[in-house]
Amino acid sequence: MNIFLLQLKKSPRAIIGLSVLLLWVFIAFAGPSMTTRSYTHMDMEYQMAAPGEGGHTLGTDALGRDVLSRIVYGSRSILTIALMTSLFSSIAGIIIGFTAGYFGGLVDTIFLRIMDILMAIPPLVLAMVILGILGNSTILSLTIIVSIAYTPATARVARGALLTCASNEYVDAARIRGESHFYIMFIEILPNTIGPVLVEITARFAYSIMMIASLGFLGVGLQPPTPDWGMMVIENKSIIRTAPWTVLYPSLSIASLVIAISLFSDFISKVMIHEE
Amino acid sequence: MKNKQKTMPVLEINNLNVEYKTLTDRIVAVKDISLKVGRKEALGIIGESGCGKSTLTYAIVDYLPKNGSRSGEVIFMGENLLEKSPKEMESYRGNRIAMVYQNPYSSLNPSLTIGFQLEEVTMFHQKFSRSKAREAAIETLTDLYMGDAAGIIERYPHQISGGMQQRVCIAMALLCKPDLMILDEPTTALDVTTEAVILDIIGELKEKYNMSLIYISHDIGVVNKVADRIAVMYRGEVVETSSQEAIFNDPLHPYTRALISCMPRAGVVKETVRLNTIPGYVTRRSAAETGCPFVPRCDKKRPGCEDRYGFTERKSGHFTACDRAYAEDVPERPVQIKKKEVKLPDNGPAPEHRTILQLDKIYRYFGPPGKRIRAVDGVDLTLDRNSVLGVVGESGCGKSTIGNTVGGLLRPTSGKIIFDGTDISVSWRKRSPETLREIQLIFQNPGRSLNPSFTLEAIIGRPMKKLLGINSGEERKKRIVDILKKVDLGEEYLYRRPRQLSGGEMQRAAVARAFSISPNLLICDEPTSALDASVQASVLNLLVDLQKESGASYIFISHDLNVINYLSDMIMVMYLGRICEYGEKHEVVGSPCHPYTEALLSAVPDVDPSIKKEAIRLEGSPPDPTIKIKGCPFAGRCHRKVGTVCDTTPPPKVDFSETHFSYCHIKPAKIEKKVMQAGEVMRTQEI
Repeated sequence: MNIFLLQLKKSPRAIIGLSVLLLWVFIAFAGPSMTTRSYTHMDMEYQMAAPGEGGHTLGTDALGRDVLSRIVYGSRSILTIALMTSLFSSIAGIIIGFTAGYFGGLVDTIFLRIMDILMAIPPLVLAMVILGILGNSTILSLTIIVSIAYTPATARVARGALLTCASNEYVDAARIRGESHFYIMFIEILPNTIGPVLVEITARFAYSIMMIASLGFLGVGLQPPTPDWGMMVIENKSIIRTAPWTVLYPSLSIASLVIAISLFSDFISKVMIHEE
Repeated sequence: MKNKQKTMPVLEINNLNVEYKTLTDRIVAVKDISLKVGRKEALGIIGESGCGKSTLTYAIVDYLPKNGSRSGEVIFMGENLLEKSPKEMESYRGNRIAMVYQNPYSSLNPSLTIGFQLEEVTMFHQKFSRSKAREAAIETLTDLYMGDAAGIIERYPHQISGGMQQRVCIAMALLCKPDLMILDEPTTALDVTTEAVILDIIGELKEKYNMSLIYISHDIGVVNKVADRIAVMYRGEVVETSSQEAIFNDPLHPYTRALISCMPRAGVVKETVRLNTIPGYVTRRSAAETGCPFVPRCDKKRPGCEDRYGFTERKSGHFTACDRAYAEDVPERPVQIKKKEVKLPDNGPAPEHRTILQLDKIYRYFGPPGKRIRAVDGVDLTLDRNSVLGVVGESGCGKSTIGNTVGGLLRPTSGKIIFDGTDISVSWRKRSPETLREIQLIFQNPGRSLNPSFTLEAIIGRPMKKLLGINSGEERKKRIVDILKKVDLGEEYLYRRPRQLSGGEMQRAAVARAFSISPNLLICDEPTSALDASVQASVLNLLVDLQKESGASYIFISHDLNVINYLSDMIMVMYLGRICEYGEKHEVVGSPCHPYTEALLSAVPDVDPSIKKEAIRLEGSPPDPTIKIKGCPFAGRCHRKVGTVCDTTPPPKVDFSETHFSYCHIKPAKIEKKVMQAGEVMRTQEI
């Protein structure tokens, strides 16, 4: 852990990334209780108000809803879904990838082919189709679907990480002392794949945010009135010339969060994988 | 002018220092080295890994990594190379100073033909035309006894064997007729018979091309074969230089002495000699350190040694850095153990209980039918209780496959393994916990056989919990501490992780893990070949002690005949998945009855330069293991081939004594006559 902090000190980009990420996490936690306006409240006197007008720091949209409160509330859902998604897809990916790589042979072939089929469909299209069929998107359904869409990629990473480790003789040593497959996979091998797996989780985190924003933008994300960054962009598309802030600020939010996570993820991969 | 050239040393290094800058420290890799290499002289440099041998050669040719810096003088043919610009150095590297490195496979470009890579050299340095370069390439390859040189230059590196690849690398170095050739462990990755051939050729070519050599190796025996003079390096310093005879017969530096006496060699066997060990291991040297580098591990140190350091000529041509340890005393010999009374076997258990392991026609194939590799091709074997079987052979002979099959990692394709009366010819999954406990494996690379995520407590405790059923943590801990003490690791190692240990400590921890559950059969697969000589000795001693104490049997697999000879009671020689010869140690080593054993023995490099053996040059490489061989697998390379019968009929089993047999077509009576020189040497050298 000490080495981790030492390395962090030397990497300004990682510090920026981590700070922005923590700032967003803070906003998501504490922000809603600090904003004075509800994200659904329509201020009829100040429709399309410019930033600063009538106490609306970041202005209002066509219906007179406060952009700042909507961004603050929106950060909650997007962070929750993205975090859950990266965790779930990593766990599922590890289980599938490990099983395939560990047993090899026919098991490997079957699992890989299924993953290939899933990967052949672009994740966004896959998610859209399922969401389109299901109709009403909720936080839960979004999480599950985005997780499924990302599982094949994480499974491949996990399988690769396992194969690198499985050639080590400590695995043989465990075998000939009669350990179960489960023990060998998850107690002997898993801790040694933590590097690539952590990198994958953080990278997946950034991807998830983009995916959720994209789904919102395409109208299959969280349904109104729940504020969603992607949806905010598409809702206000028509007034982009008269009230650009309604599109600009949600877009900046998405960009800043994704870039922050990517910067931090680069750092993780540098520390975890290239350490030795 | 011409006269001057003759007397002038080809290379003179004066007070060369090399430092590496790391984030936290400055590390001294080479300190204050002065050396001379004369015309046609071969200088051998020996030392353990991390002693700066390779760094020294990189410093000579200005090939250090970016964080390295050098100072001092490197005078090559009268010119100081340290003052040359990188551009000027290009005309030296590969041209007047040539290098050959350890791994030929990574030195050659796999996507270019050998011819193209050889031609490049002379086209660049000598501005040859391609056709002329091709001629030169063929000519040089022919000098290296590459039969079909014109055919070989059309091939790609992966299409020829490792020994051939290394010859190509040497040819590449020779193309520009260099004044100095630097060889950095060129034979370490090769099999011992291939090594012998290459060392032979190197010696010949030195004369023919009128060049000087610097030959680097960790193995004194190898260096002995080529070097006129030897420099011993330790932690970046040259601690002793002298002629090769003097280094062995009259070493003056404690490190040289310790190094020589810790190497298993001809005539050194566990029954009579306990290997010397050097406590500790080679550590990095920081810039702040002064004085003798060997002090922390020296058993002859006296007060004040920490501050002294002086490289002086003690005898004619014999320089050493230590002027204190051996001022008066005579050279010592390794500790000898008094021979114990030989136990009469009659008192032992009845013959049927004497055997612990029996292999009955074991076959193990890999790969699909048609392309199957016959890794083990019909091996019968019995192993007695409380005895050590050494399995020796070159890479690909199936010795590890045997170990893994007995250990349960592989299932035999056919055949029976009987262990202690039970049939265990199944994989680990179907073996009983009792069998799993009784057979333990020790692997070659301890860095890979110990899980880096766990502490030693967890690593050694797990088998105890799993196979001995000791569930109480307290009880386990007590036992772990006991076993750690047995392998010379203190209680403080309990919570260390493998990466915090040195290579030797890791291997001792692996031995502790194997012995923590008191096995009856231990399979050691090259357990010391990844270790340095001084560390190897301590692990070998440990294995000998634990064997005596526990009465377990060993299957000890190694490519190193000296190590096998030291540790084993019985020796089995394998070639291409089959047994060549089997017998008691003194029978196999003393009077080898198979031509392959004979060739192996003659190829083993000797630490003692006075041992002169008839060199047997085995040509070619083992045949393709996917092709079924009708006759004797060794027939194609055999120097005592009887005739076509060798190619057509499997060799019969010939018994020489109750325990000693071989598979060979040569008539037993003839073999008796030919009891071979190599064996004689091994016998007469016994102390």
